[in-house]
Amino acid sequence: MLELRAVTAGYDRRAPVFRDAHLTVAPGEAVGLLGPSGCGKSTLARVAALLHRPDAGEVVLDGMPVRGFRHRAPREQRTTIGVVFQQPRLAADPRLRLTDLIAEPLRATGRRASAADRVAELADTVGLTPDLLGRRPHEVSDGQLQRACLARALALKPRWLVCDEMTAMLDASTTAALVRVVEDYRASTGAGLLSVGHDRTLLTRWCDRTVPWEAVAAG
Amino acid sequence: MTLVPLLSVRDLSVRFLLPGGRRVDVVSDASFDVAPGECLALIGESGCGKSVLASALLGLLPANARTAGHAHLGDLDLLTADERTLARAVRGRRIGLVPQSPAAHLTPVRTIRSHIEETVARLTGVRGRAARRKAAEQASLRAEFPLGHLDRHPHELSGGLAQRAATALALVGDAPLLLADEPTTGLDRDLVDRTVDELRRHVDDGHALLMITHDLAAAERIADRVAVMYAGRIVELADADAFFGSPGPRHPYSRGLLEALPERSFTPVPGLPPELGNLPAGCAFAPRCDRATDACAALPPFENTVACHHPVPADTSHAIRTPEDTRA
Amino acid sequence: MTTDVDTDRKPAWRAHGTARRSTHVLRLRVSCALVAVTVLAVLLVPPLVQLDQQAVDLAAKLQPPGWAHPFGTDDVGRDLLLRCVYGLRVSLLVGVVAALTATVIGTAVGAAAGALGGRADRLVMRLVDTLSSVPHLLLGIFIVAMFRPGVWPVVISVALTHWLSTARIVRAEVLSLRSRPFVDAAVSGGASRWRVTVRHLLPGVLPQAGLAAVLMVPHAMWHESALSFLGLGLPTHTASLGTLIQGARGSLLAGQWWPTLFPGLFLILPTLAIAGLAGAWRERINPRRRSELML
Repeated sequence: MLELRAVTAGYDRRAPVFRDAHLTVAPGEAVGLLGPSGCGKSTLARVAALLHRPDAGEVVLDGMPVRGFRHRAPREQRTTIGVVFQQPRLAADPRLRLTDLIAEPLRATGRRASAADRVAELADTVGLTPDLLGRRPHEVSDGQLQRACLARALALKPRWLVCDEMTAMLDASTTAALVRVVEDYRASTGAGLLSVGHDRTLLTRWCDRTVPWEAVAAG
Repeated sequence: MTLVPLLSVRDLSVRFLLPGGRRVDVVSDASFDVAPGECLALIGESGCGKSVLASALLGLLPANARTAGHAHLGDLDLLTADERTLARAVRGRRIGLVPQSPAAHLTPVRTIRSHIEETVARLTGVRGRAARRKAAEQASLRAEFPLGHLDRHPHELSGGLAQRAATALALVGDAPLLLADEPTTGLDRDLVDRTVDELRRHVDDGHALLMITHDLAAAERIADRVAVMYAGRIVELADADAFFGSPGPRHPYSRGLLEALPERSFTPVPGLPPELGNLPAGCAFAPRCDRATDACAALPPFENTVACHHPVPADTSHAIRTPEDTRA
Repeated sequence: MTTDVDTDRKPAWRAHGTARRSTHVLRLRVSCALVAVTVLAVLLVPPLVQLDQQAVDLAAKLQPPGWAHPFGTDDVGRDLLLRCVYGLRVSLLVGVVAALTATVIGTAVGAAAGALGGRADRLVMRLVDTLSSVPHLLLGIFIVAMFRPGVWPVVISVALTHWLSTARIVRAEVLSLRSRPFVDAAVSGGASRWRVTVRHLLPGVLPQAGLAAVLMVPHAMWHESALSFLGLGLPTHTASLGTLIQGARGSLLAGQWWPTLFPGLFLILPTLAIAGLAGAWRERINPRRRSELML
C-alpha cells in the first residue's frame, strides 16, 4: 500500500499548499487524482514520491511509515517509486544524451554493467529508436523526450509509479502510446499507479478509480 | 468559406540551416486562409513544425532560418516585411499573440497591471493615468482576468490566470488576427473550455483566429476548420464538423490521431514521426500507415481536402488504387 | 537576402534577422586576435629573442620610441618593449594562476553551500558576506604583508580575495538548478547527494564558473599591478606591469610619457580582449538561447 495519512505540505509552514490529505493506492491499483490546475496536486505527487517532506502527517509505504524524504529516505525506499513529471524539458538534465538519461538510475544504484542492455530494452518498450538515443534533449521533441523520461522511471522496476500530469504537454497519439506503456508495465509487474491530472476523460479511461481533489485534501 | 481571407498563406516553407551544411525542413509548402470571424485550428504533435509556422508569421525566426512562399495579411507579405514594419505595425496591432507559456511571456518583476497598462499605452491612443487604468481593467475583464489579481506578479498566478493575463495583453491592440500558440497547454479541462469559449467570442466578434494546438478537444470546441500538420506538411484541411463528426477525417494520420483520444479507442498511431532533417522523398506518413502501397513512394499532391494517395473516402468504404496514383 | 540553389523546385529562400551578427563576429575576431598575440608574445618572445631584459645601458637612458627601441628606454636604458613583454608575462601568469585558484575555491565553497542548503549554507554565505565587506585591496595588502615579496604571496593574495564572487555565482546557480524536476528525478532514481551534486549540479554551473574565471584574469592582473605599484607586490627588479608603471612615475613628471603609456596599454588591451571573449562565451552559454531547431 502507498498511503498518505493526514498530510499537510507546502513550501512555507505558515501557508501550506494543502492540508490533511488522505489517499491510498493498493498494490496493482491505478488511482487517478483529478484536480484543477494550481490546486497543489503536483506537491502531493512529490510527497507521495518521497521527494518533498510534508509539514505534518505521514506517508506509509507497504506498512512502513516513511521516516525521511529526498536524500534522507533510504535508497531502497526511494527507488521503489518511479516518477514522471509534466514537463519533459525540465525533467531532463539538458546535458545528458537520452541513453545516459535513461541509464542514470541504473548507474546511480551501481548497475553500471547491465545498463547498456537494460537501456536498449527500455527504449524498445517506450518506442524510442536507436538513433534518438544518441541525442540530447534539445534535439528531440517533447513527445520523444517524455518517452525517455518514462523509460528512466521504469529503469529500476519500481513497484509504484507516480505520474504528475504525464501527458499534459503531449498530443493524443503520444498520450495513448505512453499510457499503454504504463499499463503494459503494470500488467506485467503488478505495480500500483498514482496518476495526477486534470483531464477527467483521460483519467477515467486510464485508471481503476478516480478521486476528485476535494475528496482528498483541504486547500 | 466564401469570405475574403484576412490571412492568406501560400506555399510557406521554413528551413533551418545547421552547422555542417545540414538542412532541416520544418515547414513545407503550407497553404491556408483564415477569414475574419473564422477560427482555423492547426493541429499536430509536438515537433511537427506548427510553432515554427507561427514564428514565421510573426517574423520571429532565428537567424539560421530560411523561408519561401508568401503569407499575405491584407496587402502586406509577412515574410518579406522588414523588422521595423513588423515591430511597429504588425505585432500587437494587426496580429495579437496568445503565447504558449504565459509564465515565460510575462516579466517576472512587474505586476499584471503594469504589463497591461504599458501595452495599452504602446498600442492605443489612451492618454492619462486614470484612462489608462480604466482601459487596462476593461482589457482584463474582456479576458476574464479577475481585477483583484491585477496587482500580483506573474509567479503569484496559477497557470490558468497567467494564461488569461497573456490573453488580455493580446486583446489590447484589438488586432484583427489573433494567433494562439498552444493557449491551453497545462490548463485543466474547465479552464480549457473557458479559455477556448472566450477566444471563440472574439472570433464571433469578427476576429480571425489561427489556433495552434495539440489539444483535439479544444480544437473541436472552437474551430470552424481544421488543418492537420504532419512532418512539416499540412496533410488535411477540412471543415471541423465533418472532421470531428461525420464522415470524419480522411487522412489516415488524422484518423489515427482522433482514434487515439481517450473518449475514442485510445490506441496510438504506431511508430514515431520521421526526422524533419531526414524526410523521405514520398509520403512522410507511409512508414506508419496501414494503407500504404508502392504509390506512397511519391509525394502525394494536396487534392480537395487531403494530401494522401489513399484517403479514407468520404462515402465509399474502400479506396481503389488507380494508375494515376503512381504518377510523380 | 540570399537565394541558394535548390535542386528540383523553385522556392526562393529568404534569410531572416542577420543584421546583428556581424558586429558580434567582428568583436569576437578582434578579441581572439589580441588574446592570441598576447599569449604568443609572452610564450615565444623570451625563448626566441636572446636579449637580456635587464641589460642596462646608461648612455641610452630615457630615449623616446624609435627604430632601435620601438617603445623607447627607461631611466637606466633598458629596452621598454622587452621589459613590457616580460612584465606582461609575469602579470599574466599571476593573473591566470590566481584566477584558477580563486575559481576552484569559489566553486567548491559555492557548490557545497548550495547543495547542502540550510544551516551550512547560511553560515558559509555569512562568512562570504563578511569577507566581501572588506575592500579587496585592503585585504590583499594585509595578506602580502605577511610574506616576503615575491610571486606566490601575490598569487595567494589575489586568489584569497577573489573567490567570493565566484562562490556567490555558483551557489545561486546551484540553488536554481536544485529545484528543477530533473534533480527530483535523479533523487527518485536513487542518486546520492554527492552524485546529484557532481553529476547534475556542478556540470550545470561549470560554464558560469568558467566565465567568471576568464573575467577574473584581468581583474587579477589589475590587482597584482595595484599591489606592485604600491610597492607591496613583486620586488622592483622583477618586471611586471605594476612595477614598470611604478618605476616610470618619476619620468612621467619630467614629461617622458612612454615608460608609463606602454605598460598601461599592455594592461588595458588584454583586459578588453578577454572581456570581449567572455562576452561571446556568455552569449553561447545563455540558457535562454533557444535551440536552433525551435523544437
